[in-house]
Amino acid sequence: MSILPKNVSFSRQVLPILAVIGLVVAALYIFTDLPDRSTSEPEQQPPKATGDLANSPRVAGTGLVEPSSEIIDIGSALSGLVTDLRVRPGDRVEKGQPLFLVDDRAARARLAEANAAISEARAAIAEAQAAQRTASQQLALYDNLDDPAAVSRAEVIRAEGDATAAQTRLELARARLSAAQAQAGSARTELGRLTVRAPITGEILAVNIRLGEFVSTQGGSSDPFIQMGETTPLHVRVDVDENEAVRVKLGADAIVSPRGAADIRANAKFVRAEPLVVPKRQLTNSAAERVDVRVLQIIYALPQSDVFRVGQQVDAFIPAAEAAGEEE
Amino acid sequence: MLWIAIRMLTGDAQKFYGLLFGIAFSTLLITQQLTIFVNLIERGASGVYNAPEAEIWVMDPVSRTTDVNYAMPSTALDEVRSVPGVEWAVPHLRAAASVRTGSGDLEGVAIIGVDDATLIGLPERLVEGDKKILAQPDTVIIDDGGVVNLFENGEDPIGQRLELNDQRAVIRGVADSIPSFTSQVTLYTKYSQALNFVPGTRNRLTFVLAGVSEGLTADEVAARIEEQTGLKAETREEFADAGVNFIIENTGIPTNFGITVVLGFVVGVAIVGLTFSLFIRDNIKQFGALKAIGVTNAKIVRMVGAQAALVGTVGYALGVIGTVAFIYAFSGNPFFKGFYIPWQIPLISLVSVIIILAITGFIALRSVLSTEPAAVFR
Repeated sequence: MSILPKNVSFSRQVLPILAVIGLVVAALYIFTDLPDRSTSEPEQQPPKATGDLANSPRVAGTGLVEPSSEIIDIGSALSGLVTDLRVRPGDRVEKGQPLFLVDDRAARARLAEANAAISEARAAIAEAQAAQRTASQQLALYDNLDDPAAVSRAEVIRAEGDATAAQTRLELARARLSAAQAQAGSARTELGRLTVRAPITGEILAVNIRLGEFVSTQGGSSDPFIQMGETTPLHVRVDVDENEAVRVKLGADAIVSPRGAADIRANAKFVRAEPLVVPKRQLTNSAAERVDVRVLQIIYALPQSDVFRVGQQVDAFIPAAEAAGEEE
Repeated sequence: MLWIAIRMLTGDAQKFYGLLFGIAFSTLLITQQLTIFVNLIERGASGVYNAPEAEIWVMDPVSRTTDVNYAMPSTALDEVRSVPGVEWAVPHLRAAASVRTGSGDLEGVAIIGVDDATLIGLPERLVEGDKKILAQPDTVIIDDGGVVNLFENGEDPIGQRLELNDQRAVIRGVADSIPSFTSQVTLYTKYSQALNFVPGTRNRLTFVLAGVSEGLTADEVAARIEEQTGLKAETREEFADAGVNFIIENTGIPTNFGITVVLGFVVGVAIVGLTFSLFIRDNIKQFGALKAIGVTNAKIVRMVGAQAALVGTVGYALGVIGTVAFIYAFSGNPFFKGFYIPWQIPLISLVSVIIILAITGFIALRSVLSTEPAAVFR
């Protein structure tokens, strides 16, 4: 104990003081080191029901934005190469406006052929008419002879035969003309079918074909050639779980937020509820998914806005009906 | 007079330090073992604590903890959103998967899919990277404990490619999270991405995390969710407790640690009791002399009390300091990550020390109190 002054004892004074100081330090460490178990606010706002809906009965659903006409997958009546593409995604088209043309060389060749056949038939008619005229004149000449002995009976029969043959030839030529005209008509129809036109006025949403590609009418191929639809207004198809479907207040407006932008809340007007409850299809990421959940699809019209796009997923909140049974 | 008692106590250094050692040792044993025990079983709740935004966890009625779960159909999310009082609700996926590392090793991992849009369910802090990084394709964020398990040779995890269910996954961040009970590698990713990483079963949505509207308590809203949807809804605290209880019920850990704590107590009683009794017996003459000069029994009790208080305070302090030093020294070790000393535990050991000293002091005092002043002459 020579380190310490004489009247200070290690075990009686220094040790207890050290112990108390150590205890205080330990207590400080313990209290500052306690873990933070508090909850924190989400950094990004999740979708939520607001206003009157926040604390009243409601039904939530997820939806998919679609055109009010629903998406139209444009098909082609005939197979062939694409020779002209008249629209681009985002274009607005009028009803009947050509969208794309399919290779029409074969049809045009057939039309030219038919036209040639028409000319040929016309020439044949002219020739037959001339022959008929000659034959009938000849026959008339014989008929007008007063002296029956002036011409032999055989000559007369031959002239009569010539007249009949000429008449038949004329009819044949006329029939050939209408056949050729019908062929020309069919070639023109085919030409018309090779031009694919917009079935309604609307917006082009997707163009999946390019110049020179082959469009096939054989089923089973993947993408539709062109997708279009009427996008003013947009509709949203909200899936509501069948268990919740009975609670939905049909006819009421819904609050709709796009995914990832929950602070945007659009008021969507009720359009209709689909009469058929279908297996839940959308919002799954696996092609092999089997489903046992069925959903009621309710359609709402979105207000004019730039934030919604066709095919986008949205979160929707719909007011629930005050069921009589729920209130006891 | 009490000072005399203290001098008496410290006069015999051997016995004094023996007493201190006994108290310090049993305090250390009890405090340290209880601390490790509490922290270890709290690992069962780490999944809950790692999702700081969630006030309510909604799950299938048969789910028990974050790791023992049963998936629900994906429309459960909409059902929860339909409940009044639920401010928001987001999907949360927890599933096990196997991962192939670049070096070809196979490792079981926990995949956690957090909400795509809001990233609710991610741990609050990242050690490396930014939460926004999850927007990049095939991104996963690994937990810091997992870095140690998966990259034993000290490689930088950032940018490492993994193979998950035949899909490519790139580590682009390291989360600062509390390890799970099994210290399993945990990969955080977006919900939609997680669906691809986890081999497909019909239902995948394991949890719905929900927030509570202002003015309502989590308990009320949880009860409403249970009533309206038929799912099980637990508040954060309930679900954390469920995770802890699951470990208590299903492992031998409480028994093991309980035995150690009892041993600490017994060792304390044995060492301190023996030393204290010997010390009193040695000083029986002094006590006799004190009695001879008219010191009352009450005063003698106070003297022995003062001796016990000094020994107790110093010994207890040494034990607690030892525990703190232990936790502090190992705080850098990934196994001990997030370990802390709950403030209740030093109080428990304090009570134990008081009980040990009370028992031993009482046994030692009995002989003193019955001593006659004449003992000084024997």
